[in-house]
Amino acid sequence: MSQLSLKRLEKSFNEARIIKGIDLDVSEGEFVVFVGPSGCGKSTLLRMIAGLEDVTAGEIEIGGKTVNDLPPVQRGIAMVFQSYALYPHMSVYENIAFPLRVEKLPQAEVDARVGAAAKVLQLESRLQHRPGQLSGGQRQRVAIGRAIVRQPKIFLFDEPLSNLDAALRSEMRIELMELHKRLGSTMIYVTHDQVEAMTMADKIVVLDAGTIAQVGSPLDLYHRPDNLFVAGFIGSPKMNFINGRVKSADGTTVTIDLGSLGTIALPRAITEVAGQDVTLGIRPEHMRLDDGGFVIETTPNIVEQLGIHTITYSTLSSGEPFIGLFEGNPDLVESKSVRMGFALEQAHLFDARGLAVY
Amino acid sequence: MTDVARSTEIAAADSPATVKPKTKVRSAKPMIDRYKWYEIAALYAGIAVFLFFVLAPFIEGFLVSLKPLAQLFSRPYSFIPRVWSFEAYVSMWTSVPALGLHIFNSFFISSVVTLIVIAVVVPAAYAFARFNFTGAGLLLAGFLAVNMFSGAVLLIPLFRLMRAMGLLNTYWAMIVPGAAFLIPSSIWLLRTYMLRIPRELDEAAWVDGASRLYTLRRVILPLAMPGIVVVAIMTFIGAYAQQFIFALTFNSKTEFMPLPIGLFAFFGKQEVIWNELMAASFVGILPVMIVIVFLQRYLVAGLTAGAVKQ
Repeated sequence: MSQLSLKRLEKSFNEARIIKGIDLDVSEGEFVVFVGPSGCGKSTLLRMIAGLEDVTAGEIEIGGKTVNDLPPVQRGIAMVFQSYALYPHMSVYENIAFPLRVEKLPQAEVDARVGAAAKVLQLESRLQHRPGQLSGGQRQRVAIGRAIVRQPKIFLFDEPLSNLDAALRSEMRIELMELHKRLGSTMIYVTHDQVEAMTMADKIVVLDAGTIAQVGSPLDLYHRPDNLFVAGFIGSPKMNFINGRVKSADGTTVTIDLGSLGTIALPRAITEVAGQDVTLGIRPEHMRLDDGGFVIETTPNIVEQLGIHTITYSTLSSGEPFIGLFEGNPDLVESKSVRMGFALEQAHLFDARGLAVY
Repeated sequence: MTDVARSTEIAAADSPATVKPKTKVRSAKPMIDRYKWYEIAALYAGIAVFLFFVLAPFIEGFLVSLKPLAQLFSRPYSFIPRVWSFEAYVSMWTSVPALGLHIFNSFFISSVVTLIVIAVVVPAAYAFARFNFTGAGLLLAGFLAVNMFSGAVLLIPLFRLMRAMGLLNTYWAMIVPGAAFLIPSSIWLLRTYMLRIPRELDEAAWVDGASRLYTLRRVILPLAMPGIVVVAIMTFIGAYAQQFIFALTFNSKTEFMPLPIGLFAFFGKQEVIWNELMAASFVGILPVMIVIVFLQRYLVAGLTAGAVKQ
């Protein structure tokens, strides 16, 4: 049975519809990541689950019970805020103990729970400090500690790592994953960073303008994106899109005219796309420097050497940008024409509505 | 200048032999804080003029309090006392026996006004800073409008009101209007301060099960303390300064008179005891000074450091 389920959930601020009907089931112990560009409604959705925003329409169920009108503390959730939201005038100990003080637990119990949380988060030596004396990573840990002591059924994280620098972010990412493994509780995590989404999630929910674009495991989304939005959002660098027109679709092969790039024939058992404007998608990392598959000849404007990878940025004759990513340090220079190709089975095809055709 | 002459001059400037080694010690200050000597002189001259303008009455008042009465009317007038004497500070207590009571009254009235204002303003400011309720903007605008009337304009309606409520010739006659006129601006001041406290702190407390009042007590009040102290100081000074007009109008009993009115006792039928009047004024300012010195220790800046990442 699912622990959290959203049913036709909607949210409007005055006239603006922010969340436009969301259905989602989350099972116990799952690590779910809401990901999407800014303004897609992911934080609003999380705040609705937390009980910080009211629900315009639809239902939120936690443990089989509708919680639309319950305050956060009765929903069995705890939330970690993007800005940490620590109480600057209290010590780390009192910050972590705050929810327990509200509950008026006896001091011995408070000591035990705060001690346990501090141990998990390696904050034992910092308990008497003020938040102002801590580094960003430690502040974030205090905020997580405050969530842990309540022993909630569901943890909600609102972009918890976005204030940290890159090195600390990947460190905290691993800490959070270990924490999830140890506690085994359900975690819902909001981020705009697809690397966090890909590495941490059991299940990714891609949001686009208040609707769910796709739900699936990270590799699902990577290999079989449902639509142009997900295809372009997941993966870095971004998937290349080339516009074309279907010349013929006979039920086994779709032949697409790509203009000056030539014609490509993809194996697809579909006939409806005949005559449509379609989009061909190919990930930069699927490009090869040999002549296998479909070959594109282009001149890179910029070549980035990252040591492990080499990335080329070029403009196709049709004016579309095109990125290639190659392993190691092949002999690529700016303004020198290069032939790169991709295997046909790596190509994605999207119809006129932007939906994937497999 | 001929071309030849110019070229030799350029050559001379460029040649290393003619460049003098710079031995001047470089200032440790950043460039933006470095000033020429005349700029510093001008800065201090400006400060001196300003300070003199503000403090001149006090200086003269203090000097008058040190002179014997006879010297005040001597010609030619001398600003510096010929004989320094603190006698006025002693004799004033006997020429106006109620002086101590007047000083106490001033202090008492201002303290009660301050307590009332704080008690009213803190919850009001919190409400205006955090709750969205119909008419909040209108109310705030209304408070601002009230501030535009000075108490003097409303003296007659206030007098009738006081008489109807039977408050004339009591402490309340000075406390109630005093507090009423200071509350609106204090609400504005403290509301602005509370708006700077991140809303996430309220939300985090709410998620953790705290009620609004618990959050106000445990989270908002400690963080708003510097703002509350500012409001307290402003109110105390404001109450001290505005007593005059209310006391003059609503009170005729000597035992309730605050200092500004009490000072009239130094105005005799024949003459004004100027030196004692000045001495009493200075002693009367003392309580305000003490309160400010005491309260400003709580004006800790940067108390919200570390609350949220800015």
